[in-house]
Amino acid sequence: MASTDHGGFALEVHGLSKTFGATRALRDVDFQVRSGEVHALVGQNGSGKSTLIKILAGFHRPDRPSVATVHGRELVLGDQAAAHSAGLRFVHQDLGIVPSLDSLDNLALGFGYATGAGGRIRWRAQARHAQAALSELGYDIDVRRPLTDLAPVERTAIAIARALQGIEAGASVLVLDEPTATMPQPEVARLFTMVRLLHSRGVSVLYVSHHLDEVYELADRVTVFRDGQAVETAPVGSLPRKKLVETMVGDIPDEPLADRKAGSSELALSLRGFGARIIRDLDLDLHCGEVVGVAGITGSGREEFCDALFGGRPRRGRVTVGDSLVEPMRPEEMVARKVGLVPAKRRDDALILQMSVRENFTLPDVSEFWQHLLLGHRSERRVVTDLIRRLSVTTPGPEASIEALSGGNQQKVIVGRWLRLRPKVLLLDEPTQGVDIRAKSEIHALIDAAAAAGTAVIVASSDEAELERLCDRVLVLRDGRLHADLPRSRANAQAIAHEALGSNNDKPVAIAGKVEV
Amino acid sequence: MTHGIRLEAGGPGDPDAVRTVTADLQPEAASGLPAAGPRPRVSRRLLLDVRADRFSGLYLAVVLIAVFALWLPHSFATASSARAILADSAITGIVTLGCVLGLISGAFDISIGANMSLAISLVGWLQSSLHLNALLAVIMTLASGAAVGTVNAFVITRLRVEPVIATLGMSSLLAAFAYWVAGGQTIITGISSTFTSFGMTSLLTIPVPVFYLLGLALLLWYLLDHTPFGRYLYASGANPNAARLAGLPVARLQWSALLMSGILSSFAGIVLTMQLGSASFGAGDSYLLPAFAAAFLGSTQIKPGRFNVAGTIVALYLLGIGVQGLQLRYPSLPWIADLFQGLALITAVALGVIAAKQRVRRAAAYG
Repeated sequence: MASTDHGGFALEVHGLSKTFGATRALRDVDFQVRSGEVHALVGQNGSGKSTLIKILAGFHRPDRPSVATVHGRELVLGDQAAAHSAGLRFVHQDLGIVPSLDSLDNLALGFGYATGAGGRIRWRAQARHAQAALSELGYDIDVRRPLTDLAPVERTAIAIARALQGIEAGASVLVLDEPTATMPQPEVARLFTMVRLLHSRGVSVLYVSHHLDEVYELADRVTVFRDGQAVETAPVGSLPRKKLVETMVGDIPDEPLADRKAGSSELALSLRGFGARIIRDLDLDLHCGEVVGVAGITGSGREEFCDALFGGRPRRGRVTVGDSLVEPMRPEEMVARKVGLVPAKRRDDALILQMSVRENFTLPDVSEFWQHLLLGHRSERRVVTDLIRRLSVTTPGPEASIEALSGGNQQKVIVGRWLRLRPKVLLLDEPTQGVDIRAKSEIHALIDAAAAAGTAVIVASSDEAELERLCDRVLVLRDGRLHADLPRSRANAQAIAHEALGSNNDKPVAIAGKVEV
Repeated sequence: MTHGIRLEAGGPGDPDAVRTVTADLQPEAASGLPAAGPRPRVSRRLLLDVRADRFSGLYLAVVLIAVFALWLPHSFATASSARAILADSAITGIVTLGCVLGLISGAFDISIGANMSLAISLVGWLQSSLHLNALLAVIMTLASGAAVGTVNAFVITRLRVEPVIATLGMSSLLAAFAYWVAGGQTIITGISSTFTSFGMTSLLTIPVPVFYLLGLALLLWYLLDHTPFGRYLYASGANPNAARLAGLPVARLQWSALLMSGILSSFAGIVLTMQLGSASFGAGDSYLLPAFAAAFLGSTQIKPGRFNVAGTIVALYLLGIGVQGLQLRYPSLPWIADLFQGLALITAVALGVIAAKQRVRRAAAYG
């Protein structure tokens, strides 16, 4: 996309520093977004980019009082209301929407309703406003439908429409903080269309993302954060992908094992007529040491596969682990048969945030440490210290709060929680969602190693490249049914995406080219 | 840079289970404590901060004792006053332990006061009207407490009623039942003297209920901190979803906690009856607030952010000292204890919220 430089800067910050305790989250950051450009912000977790966003939004105050310039006007950082009135608008990853309400109410959140005499809400006028705000983004959504009925990208559109309410396009800076984190491919394409539309209207966009494909697809310029510093700002055209990755993290290869073997003939898990809310009538035989991927767009059943299989939600059909049949909705029986689940929602379904790294590691089973009628904290600490080393978890120590760890390290703890118990079957639901590149490659290596040691693995993922990287076989779901069963030779990202979307799909589909690192 | 990740997986006893996989990682990762240098320092600071306040209750208790002793040398700073604090707090302490168990399991059990009231009326009525043997009366009363806990657990875990609502309803039921048993009267006659001697005697000049509390606190401390049950209970109370998906029997754990909580509440009622020598109608209700105050204040002590036995005991006696001191200082103000405990409860919860926020903010340093 061509840079549309309007001459000035939409946003400028100088010499920004932020310290948390002894951690210098930002060090003397200089940073500019040009007027009317899409500026990408990339960096690993902990690199400081979230801190920058939080300071811009006014959640944190910089160490020294600092002044940013927004479209030529000064803004004292660290005040949410001031940031808003200066024209900085934010769409955070969780969107800040209320899913049970409709678009109309969500748009009114924070901005109020059009009211008539006596404070009565003028619903019709309100609906017109809402419809207009959304149609400006190219969406024709029934504003009375609850958001739970809408696609993720449509919810994002509502969050963007709300953020941009009451401001002229040219006077704003829209910050999109990882907007595609939970979006399937075709919706990502629709989001891009929306961002381009905003761009053509003159909105300056600061786009935070983990996905480098998106940076190349969308941005005019990119700034790379590393260790609290803005280490590089360049037009995307002049920064090859390999260089960009190196700038972010150094060169981190994420390649499958050269000598990996296919699974053994020993059956680990078998499904007959397996079904859940969306999935129906699925048969599968999973062998020890085999890694099977589950792909599909959101709504295909991919997102419920692992949870339903493990017993987190109702299911139908026969599930046999080894040679014993397991009842539905009995996670404890699954664990007793050496099946582990790494859920998709790390904070909600996997972590005990109030507990330490040690306690999160050993959550499923501490019986090993129960000796002489005492829970041996020392032997437990020894085991956990060993796990921390083997999985290279970055943590101050086993007793640190799990909340003190980055997303990637928390995820390693959850994977490690099961690896410690030498699982027969490991179910992974979006194992590297919201995880930085280094942690992602490390988690992939852990999965390889577990499979090599005989664990049967199921990986449900919306990241096709991840499935290509990990799996011996990929099952592609569509509308709850098994649509394709791709062997390793055919399970590449493009083929998986193609099967997941189908050829009869009339939605605009743009599969971002996977550029090799 | 090559760094080995060693992993163990697969069936137990499999000699090939341990494999070494090599993955290329950043050089820092190979050195054991990887990446970003300043991180460990943050944690050290965090530990220091936490240490500074985890014993604050103890320091405050010492200060309170000193202040009241100087202020009221002839009434507060006496052995009988110390005994009164110990004995009064002992009964509150027993209910509080039940309260703590419920809170750890994730249930805000407000039926503990009414349960205690019922136990008082029941243990008196069984002896005075049914002329039952004291031991039998005690056993039956404890069984009633267990039954209350079981019903609470059923309503909460099976019928999925919010714990506050479930136990609010239960409180009302228990109040009705207690009235029906005792006719709304305090039972004075017919209570066996063997029975009351178990509450009135002293051991080494210390009233015997203090030893009951001590024994129960030790038992619970062992159960919560030194058995798998305790670990699992904490986890399932803190995040039931995650605990269930880690294979823990969440409902059964909460069930056991509420059962024990019911038994402890009725035991507190029994001990109060023993101590008073009469079954004072509705006397358990006033123990509800002090129990929650001590439980929440306790969760900011010793192991901040967690309901824990040691912290609870510290908080219990801190509040006990405060109440006793104020009552002696202002004998004409009967509301002073309520005021103090209400303030303590709100302050304790607010402190907990602030501490949790600080933890989150510190954790944000890594985002």
